[in-house]
Amino acid sequence: MSESPILSVEAVTAGYGRVTVLHEITLEAGRFGNVGLFGPNGHGKTTLLRTISGLVAPKRGRVVFDGKDITGLSARAIVATGLIHVPQGNKLFPDLTIGDCMGLGAYSPRARPHEAENREKVVKLFPKLAERWRQRVRTLSGGERQMVSIGTALMSHPRLLILDEPTLGLAPKIKDELCTAVMDISKGGVPLVVVEQDIEFLLELSRQLFLVDHGAVKTEIRPGESIEHSEIMAMYFGH
Amino acid sequence: MTLLDTAIPSAPGRVTWNREAIGFVAGFLLLALLPLVFGDSYSRHVLIMIFIYAIVASNWDLSLGYGGVFNFGHLALFGIGVYAYSLLAKQAGIDPWIALVASGVIATVAAVLVTIPILRLKGIYIILVTFGFAQLVMQVIISQSDLTGGTQGLVRVPGLYLFDHNMIRDGKIGYFYIALTLLVLSTLFLRLFVRSRAGASIVALRDNEEYAISRGVSLVRQRMVTLAASAFFTGIAGAFYAAYQRNASIDVFGMSLATIILSMVLLGGTSTIYGAIIASFVLTVFSEAMADFGAWRLMISALLIIVIMLVYPSGLVGMIRAAWTMVAERIKVR
Amino acid sequence: MSMFSDIFFGGLFQGSLYAMMAVGLALVWTTIGVFNFSHGVFMMLGAYFAWQLVAFGLPVVIAFPLAVIVMAGAGWILQASVVRPLIGRPNIVLVVVITTLAAGSLMENGALTVWGPRSKQLPSLIEGNTTIAGVGVSLHQIAIIVITPLILAALWSFLNRTRLGLALRAVAQNEDASQLVGLNVTALYGLAFAIAASLAGLAGIFMGGYRFMNPSMGADPLLKALIVVVFGGISSISGPIFAAYLIGFFEAASNYYFGLYWTPALLFLVLIATLMVRPEGIFASRSRGLA
Repeated sequence: MSESPILSVEAVTAGYGRVTVLHEITLEAGRFGNVGLFGPNGHGKTTLLRTISGLVAPKRGRVVFDGKDITGLSARAIVATGLIHVPQGNKLFPDLTIGDCMGLGAYSPRARPHEAENREKVVKLFPKLAERWRQRVRTLSGGERQMVSIGTALMSHPRLLILDEPTLGLAPKIKDELCTAVMDISKGGVPLVVVEQDIEFLLELSRQLFLVDHGAVKTEIRPGESIEHSEIMAMYFGH
Repeated sequence: MTLLDTAIPSAPGRVTWNREAIGFVAGFLLLALLPLVFGDSYSRHVLIMIFIYAIVASNWDLSLGYGGVFNFGHLALFGIGVYAYSLLAKQAGIDPWIALVASGVIATVAAVLVTIPILRLKGIYIILVTFGFAQLVMQVIISQSDLTGGTQGLVRVPGLYLFDHNMIRDGKIGYFYIALTLLVLSTLFLRLFVRSRAGASIVALRDNEEYAISRGVSLVRQRMVTLAASAFFTGIAGAFYAAYQRNASIDVFGMSLATIILSMVLLGGTSTIYGAIIASFVLTVFSEAMADFGAWRLMISALLIIVIMLVYPSGLVGMIRAAWTMVAERIKVR
Repeated sequence: MSMFSDIFFGGLFQGSLYAMMAVGLALVWTTIGVFNFSHGVFMMLGAYFAWQLVAFGLPVVIAFPLAVIVMAGAGWILQASVVRPLIGRPNIVLVVVITTLAAGSLMENGALTVWGPRSKQLPSLIEGNTTIAGVGVSLHQIAIIVITPLILAALWSFLNRTRLGLALRAVAQNEDASQLVGLNVTALYGLAFAIAASLAGLAGIFMGGYRFMNPSMGADPLLKALIVVVFGGISSISGPIFAAYLIGFFEAASNYYFGLYWTPALLFLVLIATLMVRPEGIFASRSRGLA
């Protein structure tokens, strides 16, 4: 495990207009491996991810990725550093084909040289996508769209992958398939930051957990601190 | 039921009826005294034009600002007023005052007709169809040149009369007070309308269509009512314009007039009624002050509109509010 | 026979001009979600720039393409000055209508100041006339009929066959997701405006070659382009192209049978009737997107 954190969020305050969602949130990720974020809905997990990836500009605080200050950079500049965010939901590009989406994933100059190699990886990970390469996204099922989302992000040649609720609203069978794929990505050497409601999956995937509540980190669980499922459930509901 | 019976209860932050009524009376009394200061007929002419523009702009604010219906055919309703009056008073020889009121009614009927194709439409499609409607009206007027004079327009349209008063050699004082009276009636009507239950349901539809419909507000009826209500005084303003200018021309359907009036609505800040009236004053006076600049006048006006739209999204009213807050804070600090 | 070919050529010719104009409007609408009401003024500006360059003594083969390129820049500048600052405002559609109208008025009166109100004419693309199927047509018109589909096809393959075109289509569908794959959204907005403005400029050059130009020459084509776009549906660019030719033929036929005066009124009636039956236009797809 590396000594320095790959991503650190330092006292970040952010929100939309006059509404502040994140209140001086601080966390360090990647020192111990994959990171899981959990907590009640509407308490700033998605906003945190959007702030990290540059969709929301922080009002105060710093975001550092791999030693580089990325605070206030445009989403495009952040993509160019290799920090890739897979947003929640599966809206995507409804009228583009799967192939188009993969082409877009490799849009940034950093990802362009690895396009063929990454495409192979994606196809190996999600063979279903290859079968429907020329199909429009709007015609796909929820699980397939999630695969397209993650696949597009892999095409961007990520050095850190941020997943926002990758299994939200999926049927159990397809959910298992996706969980396996996410584990495979992690084994392939891409560190992950994952927001997820499924605690079992989160515990299996990550070595470090943060409970985000009211726009701040309420509890941090490090590796070695054994944690029971029931304790996490208590954290969820016990406030 | 009268409008007052159905007035919605006052809400915090809302100006009370009494205070608004005092402001209303004081404001219009002030306007009524203006001819004492401005004795020359040119100033009075400018004021009359301001009143006409103010009626058209504030009624547009009703459909656009309150109703959220992007009716780009509003100036066609004005144009319908111009031509309805001219045809009735000149070609049919009807009494000018009757023709004036009839023009308002005809514009209202036209507004109801436009509503039919846009009932199922949203946003940009409404802009396009109402825009098309305006062009359709213009094309019909041009093609019926035997009656309407086509692109040449109509001249020697009968003017209005007031008992035995000489309307021509009175330094425009007659037309001034008629225009002011029309503006008072129109503004009174608009304010009563937007403060009534009907007005509240229109705003509800604009802000949350699905919810409003689920609470029993009828989209079809409210859209029709909004457009019809915004048409009556617009048509009358058109009729008055024709009577005052003594002619009718298809220029009223052109883009330039529509742009000017629309900027009055937006500069004034939508959903205020008063904002549009204030902006009519500001823009018209500004534009007249630069009358010597020729083409530069229009360019400077355009530039000004762009700058204000970029800097003050809520228009002049927003600008005044911002200035007021600043002054209020200064006072507090001391 | 002559009646048929009259309508056929007239329709093809008008349809070509409408298509050039409408595609730009639709492109801007699909990518940015705003309507550019100075699109007609762009058409006028293109024609005047071309005229100015020809007046400077440049040969047509250089002057015309140069004017089109200058228009691309003009489109970019317009986007950066009166559209981009408004992105994110809740009432952007309405405010952009007024800012582009005002910008149009600014440019139109600017043109009036610079070039004066007197009518001007551009050289034709090709001089001369010919007779096809019993109808006299100018070679200029033939050239327009041939060049327009080529340009539209080029635009189509740019959008569908290149990565930049792909990026434009993507921005039209989902702005957030576009940013997250590293697209430069503001540059793509600028690009959409630049393409639209240069197509409008080209349409202006076409028009200046067979009709007198004046600073307000763009008003009517803008109107027609709006009708075309409503008719064809604003959610794609192929819809407006089909609609442009359809309306071209409709106009030509109506001119023939009902005369010039009634054609616009008839056209609007058909438009309104169409919208009552199919509010999204006759060729519309379900969502916003470029195809």
